[in-house]
Amino acid sequence: MSENKTDVPYGTLDLLILKTLDTMGPMHGYRIARRIEQVAENLLRLNQGSIYPALIRLEEQGWIRTQWGVSETKRKVKFYSLTRAGAKQLNVEVANWERATALVARFLEAEP
Amino acid sequence: MNLRFAAGRLLALFRNRRLDGELEDEILAHLEMAELNAIATGLSPEEARREARSSFGGIEQMKENHRDHRSVRWAENLLRDLRYGMASLARDPGFGAVTIGLLALGIGANTAMFTIVDAVLLRPLPFPEPERMVRLWEAPTPGHHNNTTTFTFLDWKRQDTIFDALSAEEPVSAAVTTGADPVRLSGKLVSADYFNVFGVKARIGRTFALGEDQPGATPVVVLSYSLWQTRFGGDPGVLKRDFVLDGESHRIIGVLPAGSFDRDEARFWKPLIFASIQLNRNQHWLQVVGRLRSGVSIEQARARMSGLRASLGAVIPQKKLGFAVDPFAQLLVGDTLRRSIYLAFGAVLLVLLIACANVANLVLAKGATRRKEMALRAALGAGRGRLIGQLLTETLVLCFLGGIAGIAVAYLLLRGAAPLVAASLPFTADLSAGSSMDLRVLGFAALVVMAVLVLTGLLPSLQTSFGKLSSSLNQAARGSSASSAAVRRTIVIGEVAASVVLICGAALLFKSLAKLQQVDAGVRIDHVITMSTDLPSTAYPTPESATTFYEAVVERLRSAPGVEQAALSLDLPLQGARWGEWISLAGVKEALLVRVKMVDPWYFATLQIPVESGRGFEKRDRAGAPPVMVINQEAARFLSSKFDMANPILRVVGIHLPGYGPIPESPVTVQIVGVIRNERTGGLHAPEEPVAYVPLAQVPRQDVSLVVRTGSEPLAAMSGIREAVRQIDPHLPLGEVRTMEQVKERSILWAKQPTWVIGAFAGVAALMAALGLYGVLAHAVTEQRREIGIRMALGARPADVVSHTLRSALSLLVVGLAVGLAGAFALTRVLKGLLFEVSALDPVALALACVLMTLVGILAAWIPASRAARVDPMTVLRDEG
Repeated sequence: MSENKTDVPYGTLDLLILKTLDTMGPMHGYRIARRIEQVAENLLRLNQGSIYPALIRLEEQGWIRTQWGVSETKRKVKFYSLTRAGAKQLNVEVANWERATALVARFLEAEP
Repeated sequence: MNLRFAAGRLLALFRNRRLDGELEDEILAHLEMAELNAIATGLSPEEARREARSSFGGIEQMKENHRDHRSVRWAENLLRDLRYGMASLARDPGFGAVTIGLLALGIGANTAMFTIVDAVLLRPLPFPEPERMVRLWEAPTPGHHNNTTTFTFLDWKRQDTIFDALSAEEPVSAAVTTGADPVRLSGKLVSADYFNVFGVKARIGRTFALGEDQPGATPVVVLSYSLWQTRFGGDPGVLKRDFVLDGESHRIIGVLPAGSFDRDEARFWKPLIFASIQLNRNQHWLQVVGRLRSGVSIEQARARMSGLRASLGAVIPQKKLGFAVDPFAQLLVGDTLRRSIYLAFGAVLLVLLIACANVANLVLAKGATRRKEMALRAALGAGRGRLIGQLLTETLVLCFLGGIAGIAVAYLLLRGAAPLVAASLPFTADLSAGSSMDLRVLGFAALVVMAVLVLTGLLPSLQTSFGKLSSSLNQAARGSSASSAAVRRTIVIGEVAASVVLICGAALLFKSLAKLQQVDAGVRIDHVITMSTDLPSTAYPTPESATTFYEAVVERLRSAPGVEQAALSLDLPLQGARWGEWISLAGVKEALLVRVKMVDPWYFATLQIPVESGRGFEKRDRAGAPPVMVINQEAARFLSSKFDMANPILRVVGIHLPGYGPIPESPVTVQIVGVIRNERTGGLHAPEEPVAYVPLAQVPRQDVSLVVRTGSEPLAAMSGIREAVRQIDPHLPLGEVRTMEQVKERSILWAKQPTWVIGAFAGVAALMAALGLYGVLAHAVTEQRREIGIRMALGARPADVVSHTLRSALSLLVVGLAVGLAGAFALTRVLKGLLFEVSALDPVALALACVLMTLVGILAAWIPASRAARVDPMTVLRDEG
């Protein structure tokens, strides 16, 4: 793996998953992981396994729901989709993220 | 959402296994797809597998992480909260001790009371298929019960399509001379079927066999377990030994199992063999128990019994007389007992509520001081669910410890109370702490703990964590929070109200008890000792032999040391007169029902019952002399009002009087020779009854009581009395030795026990309410120190400050009193049956209750009030300014 890949910024995996589900609709774990990697265009070092605890956490919060479906390899897998609460939460997280980046950006731009 | 979250966590705990499996599948699917994908990009299968695994990351680590998240954190939170709860208890041991003490008291008293309710009312009787057990009566008029006659009993016994077993029972007592001292023991004469009715098998040996209750059968006896233990030391060879009852040797055929029959008065059971003279339809003397055939309902039994009654129309002349069948259990628990138990249970529930209110109040007070901590935690990201969870867990620790302590308290209470109340409970109720505190009782205790948890935990939790936390971060430093104070005041008002209800009840009961104790028994109570005896037919076969004994024993007793007077009587005052008969007048159709007492010539003098007119009995009123009778004023009043007999002296009346031993009653014409002042024959609460006295010498009885008046402490004279009786008959034991004071005590036990129980609960409730009031006021004073300081700086005197605090206490008390009185009014119906000559709305008792509660409340308010008065304005303003 190349050195210029970055880890998933702390606390943003939830946001990435929610956004993915928002744009792509219901999908299973592997597709979510692949989609995140594809969008990141190899800039991201994602442990694909780490999305499962995140999915469970999001489900417990009531932001996503699961349904059983069949994978491309004919296995029974869970398909995840966004709930209404999840859509709202996505807005909150996006706003938070924008506020945070704007704040950091202002610091970086600030002249002495 | 919090709820859903918590529920999900909770479910996850139980679903762990399945979830692990699901996760496994999901990972496998993931890896397969990753592999396929890698192969598609041109990697070899091995490389593809490696690639898939490496981009997935540590599988085991991930699972661990997942599992952590799913359940361990939940458990970890709980553990942390528990530890935190314990720690905060340890930091504030005073709070912990008071709370756990209150809960232990409330839960313990409730558990003990439930054990009694369970044993007496809820638990099925300790016999197989108890619903088949019945009692049978004659009903002279519907709703009334009477014993039956031998012939009618035998008619019933032939109904083997209704009954599996039917038995008469007749209490007896007998002198036991097996062993060292002769003692008198209670026993029962029963039909051979008796133990089949109860479905009880002998522990060793056997119970009665068919035919052992027929004339000519060998005398046999069955012993209770306790008698076997005490009299025979549990000797397994007891079946080879003989048992001498009233001088007659009986073969011991069996010993009953330990249990219910040990709590019965009877210690031994003998077959009831009818003497030929008892074979009639006049003597109503038998109590009957039966076991229905399986499949026969009580309604069917009743229907068939009334069919039988109709077919006996020719031989039973009383037109209205019917046959009654009642469930055996129904008559075991009397109305008064049932009412007393429910009342005590209600009272103890109120005590528990007050205890809960107090604990909730304490937790609230503590919560108020912790608002800052809570606000900080919320600001740092703790969810409300998490905060409520933490507070609930702390309360859970309190409730759990309180519950454990409560079960210990219940155990101690039961051990202490069981011997005191056992005599008032039916023999089927087993109160020994070991067997009565079973899983049912522990389950009840657990339910109570849970109810307490909800009552004491939820409200303070919501109060603390739903308050405006952010604002309280700022306010907490300044103290007061109005809404919490209002809730706590409401709780205190509730406590005061509940206490007032209890105190009112207690005040009414105590007033009723005082009235009862003031009732004039009509006899001298002090320095009188009584005992019973029963002349065995073997030693005293004839009426003459009995009469000789009566005269000799009284003669001897009067010369015994310390004895002033001695007499004999069939029944003692206050214990109820057993014998009832009709007095008839020549030419008058109606008759007067009177109680009949057989007494000797010294009875009236010994108990100092004055003769109002005519004369009492004298030595000349012996067998063979003209039959005479003395009546009481009540009987005289009836005779003059109903029968127009202004002066009954020397008038002649007809009455049926019993013969000696098994000889049934026969009509006698007697002359009334005197009228005496009323004595209380029944209990102190019972109305005066018309009583007819006849000379014991003319109507001799075997089961008589000795009444002895002593010069000094009556129990001290007992050895002299025993010696005097022994000189007359060395084999005659004396039973039921009681002073008249004790007889009186026993006769009001039914009123005394509930009164003291409710009184104790009311006292506890009042103290708890006072504690609650104290807590609220003390807290208020602490919070208002600044305000008080400013007022004092502006010229308020200490007295003003004190009166301010007392006024707020009084306002709480007054509202509580009003609500409590309303509650007491609403509940008067409950008390009615237990009150004697006191209205359930007795103003004096209710006023007294209010005054008491107010006094206790003011005392509780005094401490914080005086502390408020000692506030030094300078210090306070400098501290917090």
